[in-house]
Amino acid sequence: MPLPQDAVAVEPVHARVPGRVRLKVAGLRGAPRLQRRLEEALPGRGIRAVSASTRTGNVLVHFDCSLPLDDVIAAVARLARAAPGAEQAAFLAAPAAPEAAPCPGSPPFHVCEADEILAGLGSCAQRGLSSAEAAARRARFGANTLPRAEARPPLAILVEQLRTLPVAMLTASAAVSLLTGGLADALVIGGVVLLNAGIGYATESQAERTIRTLGRFAPPRAVVVRDGAPRLVDAEDVVPGDVLALSPGTGVAADARLLRARRLSTDESTLTGESMPVRKDPAPLDREEVPLGDRANMVYRGTLVTGGSGLAVAVATGRATEIGRIQRLVGEARPPETPSQAQLRRLGNQLVWGGGLVCASMFGVGALRGLGLLEMARSAVSLAVAALPEGLPTVATTTLALGVRELRRRKVLVRHIDAVETLGSLEVLCLDKTGTITRNQMRAVALFCEDRRLTVEDGKIGGAPGAGKERSALRALLETMALCNEAELERRDGELEVRGSPTERALVELARDAGLDVLALRGAWPLQSLDYRSDRRNYMKSLHAAGDGRRLVCVKGNPLEVLAMCRRVQRGEHAEPLVEADRVAVETENGRMAGEALRVLGVAFAERESAAAEDGLVWLGLVGLADPARDGIRELLALLHGAGIETAMVTGDQSATAYAVARSIELAREGQLEILDSTHMERVPPEVLSALAQRVRIFSRVSPAHKLEIVQALQRAGRVVAMTGDGVNDGPALRAADIGIAMGAGGSEIARDVADVVLEEDELGVLVDAIRQGRAIHENTRKAIHFLLSTNLSEILVMVAGIGTGLGQPLSPLQLLWLNLMTDVLPGLGLAVEPPEPDVLRHPPRDPREPLLRRSDFARIAAEAGLLGAGTLGAFAAARRLGGPPTRASTVAFMTLTVGQLLHAISCRSAQHSIFRRGLAPLNPTLKLAVGGSLAAQLATPWVPGLRRMLGLAPFGVRDALLVAAGAGLPLLVAEGLKLAGVWRGPQAAPPPTGGTS
Amino acid sequence: VSSSFVFSSESVTEGHPDKLCDQISDAIVDAFLHQDPLSVITAECAVSTGILFIAARFASEATVDVPGLARQVIRDVGYEDEAFNARTCSVMTSLVEVPRGQRPLVPETELGDEEIERIPAADQVTVFGFACRHTPALMPMPIWLAHRLARRLDEMRRSGKLPWLGADGKTQVAIEFDARRPRRVHGIGLQASQAVAGEPPLARLRDELLEQVVRPVLGEAEVPSDAHTRFFVNPAGAVVLGGPALHSGLTGRKTSVDTYGEYGRHSGAALSGKDPLRIDRVGAYGARYAAKNVVAAGLAEECEVQLTYSLGLAGPVSVQVESYGTGRVPDAEIARRVREAFDFRLGGMVRAFDLRLLPRRGGGHFYRRLAVYGQVGRSDLELPWERTDRGDALG
Repeated sequence: MPLPQDAVAVEPVHARVPGRVRLKVAGLRGAPRLQRRLEEALPGRGIRAVSASTRTGNVLVHFDCSLPLDDVIAAVARLARAAPGAEQAAFLAAPAAPEAAPCPGSPPFHVCEADEILAGLGSCAQRGLSSAEAAARRARFGANTLPRAEARPPLAILVEQLRTLPVAMLTASAAVSLLTGGLADALVIGGVVLLNAGIGYATESQAERTIRTLGRFAPPRAVVVRDGAPRLVDAEDVVPGDVLALSPGTGVAADARLLRARRLSTDESTLTGESMPVRKDPAPLDREEVPLGDRANMVYRGTLVTGGSGLAVAVATGRATEIGRIQRLVGEARPPETPSQAQLRRLGNQLVWGGGLVCASMFGVGALRGLGLLEMARSAVSLAVAALPEGLPTVATTTLALGVRELRRRKVLVRHIDAVETLGSLEVLCLDKTGTITRNQMRAVALFCEDRRLTVEDGKIGGAPGAGKERSALRALLETMALCNEAELERRDGELEVRGSPTERALVELARDAGLDVLALRGAWPLQSLDYRSDRRNYMKSLHAAGDGRRLVCVKGNPLEVLAMCRRVQRGEHAEPLVEADRVAVETENGRMAGEALRVLGVAFAERESAAAEDGLVWLGLVGLADPARDGIRELLALLHGAGIETAMVTGDQSATAYAVARSIELAREGQLEILDSTHMERVPPEVLSALAQRVRIFSRVSPAHKLEIVQALQRAGRVVAMTGDGVNDGPALRAADIGIAMGAGGSEIARDVADVVLEEDELGVLVDAIRQGRAIHENTRKAIHFLLSTNLSEILVMVAGIGTGLGQPLSPLQLLWLNLMTDVLPGLGLAVEPPEPDVLRHPPRDPREPLLRRSDFARIAAEAGLLGAGTLGAFAAARRLGGPPTRASTVAFMTLTVGQLLHAISCRSAQHSIFRRGLAPLNPTLKLAVGGSLAAQLATPWVPGLRRMLGLAPFGVRDALLVAAGAGLPLLVAEGLKLAGVWRGPQAAPPPTGGTS
Repeated sequence: VSSSFVFSSESVTEGHPDKLCDQISDAIVDAFLHQDPLSVITAECAVSTGILFIAARFASEATVDVPGLARQVIRDVGYEDEAFNARTCSVMTSLVEVPRGQRPLVPETELGDEEIERIPAADQVTVFGFACRHTPALMPMPIWLAHRLARRLDEMRRSGKLPWLGADGKTQVAIEFDARRPRRVHGIGLQASQAVAGEPPLARLRDELLEQVVRPVLGEAEVPSDAHTRFFVNPAGAVVLGGPALHSGLTGRKTSVDTYGEYGRHSGAALSGKDPLRIDRVGAYGARYAAKNVVAAGLAEECEVQLTYSLGLAGPVSVQVESYGTGRVPDAEIARRVREAFDFRLGGMVRAFDLRLLPRRGGGHFYRRLAVYGQVGRSDLELPWERTDRGDALG
């Protein structure tokens, strides 16, 4: 059997430091159970500490220097080998572990002979497994499925909403109110808490549900040989030992070793990122250390057969497959805390402390002044409620949720609610080239025929000189391309369906779209033989014979090699001698097309009576193919650059192709373009990579595995990074990025599951909306916080000043709570749904390390709170001076403060644009409703008997109304005047540091 | 006063990091000119342990896979060790595309004198050309022998005769002169790298290098060595691996190796990585052409031609000749004849040497070959500035 019993190899990686050794343990990668076992069972008997990594497959052991190194290695090896169910473990002989890794792990199948493997799996190439055996194995190894990433349970979402400090504080306040007899207060406070949690829960669970419904496809099927006959089964019923029949256009259901193959090629891009199909061959390899992408005799689950056919025996199913390993690897990359999470948490904590302090001090002052203790306790609690911006979580969550909903309308699914906000601080956007910037579809875009360059757009050949005419050079070119072609054709519902590699398909489609009946053509000239391109011969040659004995030789391939075989050139109906000038013209055009990063093919043919010598072909022309950039990408990048967001392209292509694409879409903001071309990025020292990555615009020849390194390098440099991806291998990078963006339509399930943002349609344009939304959300959150803090502070000022100066208690506890209800959540919500300010995409992203509120913001908040408080206290003092019952002055104060705060909401709409100038959108309906409704409710309080009694208000006259108007209106005018004068502009307008893009 | 002195020059092998950078720079120039002979291109490189940095400015119709080309050069040079090789090294490329308008529209070979006059030098630069009768190629003896040794080192490695030899190496030759004529080899220094420490041991390495490299070269040398000639092979001990894994490299840091091994003066500007419209490169060729023809015509035994260019002018503002007292006619007279016989205008030299089309004729290889073993005095290449066809015009 190819797998020896002690297959667990342990070798030292680093053993220079005494008492410390780093060991490589085969099979540890992606095997968390082995990791746990090593870490738990090893320590003791001289081994002090063990740290195993399932990512690197290494174990770091600290041990007493007296212990011989060999003993340590032996101990690790013993443990790694002995335990039951070691992922690396064994073939069928091993007992099946109950819960995981049911099939053979990854013995080096690619170096073994196919027969050995078949024997080891108890299978047979001709007969496959018996149905009974298959059923038995299905029971033993479980379904051939990949575990889905865990969905967050609803309860967890709800608990998350309630587990914040402000909520805890509010709950405590409610409890105090209840104990001190303020049932109404407690009810109001409780209502506020439940409202917040409810909104948060509703929005987040709805987002979660939407994501869950994504990516559910019809269950895949697979053709396997059972009882000696091919049979179509559900892919999840495939078991190790099953013989898979591979055909083009189908997915591979399990990791399998090829038994035989006929021109088999597979697209392994989900696994390796290599977008070109890989040719497969069943011959065993001679080396064990071969990257997945080069294991030509293996096919892997999740990859796609693009051409040819083959038989393969399944060696691993379900979680034991390579794709399953990657999924487990993904589980370990942790996302960093998003900026909003961190900042709201900090701010919330500060406010709780502040609130407690105010509470206590007011209670103390009141007690000193001999006010009733019970009354003071109620006032203090009410003030605490007033001081705490309990609207804050609601407003922040709602802002985000509304953004999520808005984005969903545009087919952008946001998986984590804070991701929208992170989008707003996005600094670097890394884009996949293939599939994201381009469509991943080859298309013929240019032809060179009869000394003329013809451009092809949407399948139409521009300025075609008589494509329809019999015997024109162009016609012959199209026919030859369609004949000398591997693509398979099928007529379905009147439409000609083309299957095959992207290039071959593009050529047939070009001929089809030009009006050729390709099926009839192939019928008239049946294929006799086909010579494929080889290492020494860069062209493909096909031989066709018509019924009347005429023969046709068709050649397409490397233009220079094809040209070298030509003696004549087709012009119109005639073949003329090919002269030096013709060659130069073709070579020049070839160079030009190559310079435009096109894939260029030369086409030639010969019609002859018999299959004679192959010289003397007739040159037809060149065809240039490309995977063009999507429409609108350039404009999109310009918008992003205008918004101070840097863009980088990640591609497995060589640099020249990448550069041509980058140039066509103006990837770089300045003329300079940095390319990092690296197939071994892990060898670059991390600090060097971090320094370089900030400048690099193209990462070429990069495998998806390196995307993680790119993301981490940029993050080490302090950047907020977004990364797009769709392949299975993109998972770790998407997870690690501040914003992982999965391209939905063609993407893998795993990419969608780990991403923060899923674009349902593969269009990047919506990303700009998302970023605009993200920035607006941040701004709106700031506006709402600004409003909440300044109004709440004004309440504190009024209360403390009133009590401290002996003016008396301006507001009663219930007035405070009412005030809070009117002027906190509703106007805050109105501000939260403000549309983005017009210039939101014209300034650089904010620094994520910058606090939500800067020092200057606090000064402004204090100043505005002072204005509001002064207005209220002024009106209060004036009303007292003018006489009347004490409730009358208190009523004026209550009205002034409430109206003043509501008017302040209008001022908070923009930090820079004052109401005296145009340039800002009109009030949004929600804000209009919130401010208008609250104002109406407030003005109604003296006239509604129940309310009046509860709030203890006095009758209200014209004199009082004027006082209120002055006390509430003046602060607004002064605040707007300060804005107009540019008092606050300094720190606001200074562009945040962008980290040097030169 | 004794007129005897010792003069030493050094050369390096193709694997030396500085020279590796020069070769990559010139391979890029070749690739651009091969596709588009009218390209404007400047390429500079730096290499350290695992990273190659390339900065290229260009205006061209060509599309070049710059990192791919660099890897090809690294592969050709023969770096295969684990620490630095073509496959695993990372290549950081900085491309600046200048407006295509700056690219010339017509090759100089199709321009008349009037138009040549309108191509100004874009630099304020003084360049030198030198020739002397030490060797048949009219090159100074120390650098000539140093190049021969470097070439021999590379040959022995490539042919597999010394399979342990690493790509990185340095050779130094000290020649004793008498009355400015080489008399004897004073000393030879070799710095050779090896892939594996102790294979071969230092003593055997010294023996083999002396036997296989130094002896054959000295055997054919135009100057005798004797019992007092001193030999130093890896005097500081074995050099393991060498190359970018050991020391970093930079384009244009070996200008004396490119020219006369300091025996004649040379400009500080790099020669490699520059397209034909760079006066600091082309001027050096033109000056060598003139100096070599002066010596070949018998006007002097030794001749240094100095050309000084000013910004904005097509031709040099000054042409000076120094013959170190070996002139048959006064230096001023030689200078006068040189001025008349040679077209030192920038466009004129590009036209005369056909510098734009040389890469195309060589199948995409021309400048890269200049980047090792010297840009002047090459007997293995047919360089237009090494022709001695202007004797008649010099009278």
